[in-house]
Amino acid sequence: MSLVARHLEANGLPTVVMGCAKDIVEYCGVSRFLFSDFPLGNSAGRPFDVESQASTLELALRVLESAPAARTTVQSPLRWREDAAWKLDFSNLERMTPEQIAERRREFDEIKAIARTKREAV
Amino acid sequence: MAFATEHDVPIPYMQRTRDYYLKLGYPGYRWAHFVDVPFTPLATPLARARLALVTTSAPYQPGVGEQGPRAPYNAAAKFYTVYSESTESIPDLRISHVGYDRVHTTAEDPNTWLPLAQLHQAVKSGRIGALTPRLHGAPTNRSQRVTMETDAPELLRCCRDDGADAVLLVPN
Repeated sequence: MSLVARHLEANGLPTVVMGCAKDIVEYCGVSRFLFSDFPLGNSAGRPFDVESQASTLELALRVLESAPAARTTVQSPLRWREDAAWKLDFSNLERMTPEQIAERRREFDEIKAIARTKREAV
Repeated sequence: MAFATEHDVPIPYMQRTRDYYLKLGYPGYRWAHFVDVPFTPLATPLARARLALVTTSAPYQPGVGEQGPRAPYNAAAKFYTVYSESTESIPDLRISHVGYDRVHTTAEDPNTWLPLAQLHQAVKSGRIGALTPRLHGAPTNRSQRVTMETDAPELLRCCRDDGADAVLLVPN
């Protein structure tokens, strides 16, 4: 998505990205980025929390109108939960058994095969 | 004021993913990386601007497996070309085709990945001038070449055709 934002900017359209993967977006480099330190899948706010969704959009709009230069990142002050232990779980091999890793490998092969078939059918 | 715990930082997704795929026996993925970043100032005040929404979520497709809350990763629900949907009502868009955090997120509330209801509110309150008549879907097919040479130019065309003054992009 960062590649798309860059293309739009390069062609005269101002953009703002709302997302949860800070390192990936910043490594690519976009003009304006509202970062929510939430699990992937919650770029627009917390589930069933309209206030959080409203404040996330409002912050993104403020970044859109006020960023002084490219690579402006603003981090939302909202926290997913007080205890940050959830951050240790995502794709963390240290927390998986050899059986779980073997299962993930099998799943990944399956996913790749499905995606290949679909892509080739386009 | 006490110090935060050491791991209380944004998750290092690139490092985590690199280690993960290496362990699974796959070559590392190379993320897009640039030194220069283009920047276009907002020329129209937001209260008069027309905003476009670009999403990586996918239209629900009957018959290609589970796509609802807690669905496992579903590659069959992926899409490979840019699509457009009306922004007048809320379309049925899902995220089972992407690698969101399946331990800590159930994907029950579409408002966490598609801020369309909030955008309607923002138009109603006068915070933004208008929404473009369509939102647009950006494929997540892991081919940077296709994204840069095909999808991004197509999305630019769509946004221009809709008269967008600015674009909000929401990856998942």
